[in-house]
Amino acid sequence: MEKFKVLVVDDEDDFRETIVKRLRGRHLDTTGVASGEEALKAMEQESFDVVVLDVRMPGMDGIEALKEMKKRWPLTEVIMLTGHASVESGIQGMQLGAFDYVMKPVPLDELLDKMRQAYERKRIQEGKF
Amino acid sequence: MWPSLPLGAGRGWLPWLAPTLTLLAGLCLWEGGYRFFSVAAVALSALGCAGVRALCVRLAQAENARQLLDERLLTTQKLAALGELAAGISHEINNPLAIIRQEAEWLRELLSGARFQDPAQLLEFRESLQEIILAVERAREVTGKVLELARERQPVIQKLDLNRLLEDMARLVEHEARRKNIRMERRFAPDLPPVESDGPLLRQAVLNLLTNAYQAMEDGGTITLTSSWAGPDHVKIAIRDTGVGIPPEMLDKIFLPFFTTKPPGTGTGLGLAITQTIIHRLGGTISVASQPKHGTTFTIVLPLSWEPQEQKG
Ligand SMILES: Nc1ncnc2c1ncn2[C@@H]1O[C@H](COP(=O)(O)OP(=O)(O)OP(=O)(O)O)[C@@H](O)[C@H]1O
Ligand SMILES: [Mg+2]
Repeated sequence: MEKFKVLVVDDEDDFRETIVKRLRGRHLDTTGVASGEEALKAMEQESFDVVVLDVRMPGMDGIEALKEMKKRWPLTEVIMLTGHASVESGIQGMQLGAFDYVMKPVPLDELLDKMRQAYERKRIQEGKF
Repeated sequence: MWPSLPLGAGRGWLPWLAPTLTLLAGLCLWEGGYRFFSVAAVALSALGCAGVRALCVRLAQAENARQLLDERLLTTQKLAALGELAAGISHEINNPLAIIRQEAEWLRELLSGARFQDPAQLLEFRESLQEIILAVERAREVTGKVLELARERQPVIQKLDLNRLLEDMARLVEHEARRKNIRMERRFAPDLPPVESDGPLLRQAVLNLLTNAYQAMEDGGTITLTSSWAGPDHVKIAIRDTGVGIPPEMLDKIFLPFFTTKPPGTGTGLGLAITQTIIHRLGGTISVASQPKHGTTFTIVLPLSWEPQEQKG
């Protein structure tokens, strides 16, 4: 159950690189990309179980990216990360099928916990189909 | 098919009841009512007066309950049909909306290289484009909500830490609420066991209620978010605000899709409809109590363990 593939999408290089490193440190197969467009490209190449997605990015924003991801890979679970709480986009994100919507900064253990839950959910749904 | 019984009448009619029913039974024999009436007649003659009265009351209660269920079923069916129609339209509208947005963004990009003789004109052009994009976003928000309402999402059941979930959503709203001078108060029961439910759906429901709560307070106030036990195998979530409240005559309308008192552009009237659908799908109930000018409390009761339900609206 522990091993799953994670894609981290955030345009803030420092944040992304740190979190990728730390997740790898926890033995998670983790990839980092800097934009929504890159994320979709990466997902076309290989399949991910859980995506951690920043809401605010230049170019394709998180909500747009989420929409596209859920349309093309409905089983992949997406956790939205946001620096600026916006209830509107939170509601929108949840409606578009995000697994969770989390405020930055989030302690790594908490995020890991959510990722595990998201992965569990994916497995449950795969069992259904 | 029930004979309506004059419950309020005195005892005078009681001795006549059994023979009358026996007669009726005879009459109905050809109609297929034989079984019910003969059984009822035998039962009635066997029972004493008190028994008969109790039985009559029961019959009347059953009839009332049936009527209520009929009405609810009708409402549910009507809403389902309406929802389907609205979802169909939303779906069709979404495509042109996406194109309008794409083109507007393309225009915006073209504009960055364009030159105008009068710089003020450029500014106006930009603002106008921005308005178009905003309006499209708004429209997409509405179509998104309508589609959400109609979507038959089967819950995916996991064990959830309810307090954690509530805390997450509270934090999300707290930021925005603080700007309006609104305090968030938590009262979480520390001893709650994991709840079998669908996290994303429940988050959506709680977020909708929290949003309503802070929108109901213009000028500061308090949102109290509570979790507690509700009997041995249920938990309760309460979201209380000190906002404008809801007039009693409006209480039975607020869950209807598109019912809103908010100005156009702020509310679509779908928040509570979606929330109610979600909670029912999770096997729970949602209720509201309100005192105009003082505040409103929405209460959700959820089962600790989830079981698949029969087809429900
Ligand atoms: N906490 C509350 N206090 C006062 N009135 C409320 C509260 N919650 C709901 N209402 C009333 O019920 C109506 C319907 O609420 P609902 O959430 O369904 O739609 P909305 O908030 O108007 O729009 P939307 O949720 O789609 O943005 C509201 O317009 C408001 O009049
Ligand atoms: Mg609302």
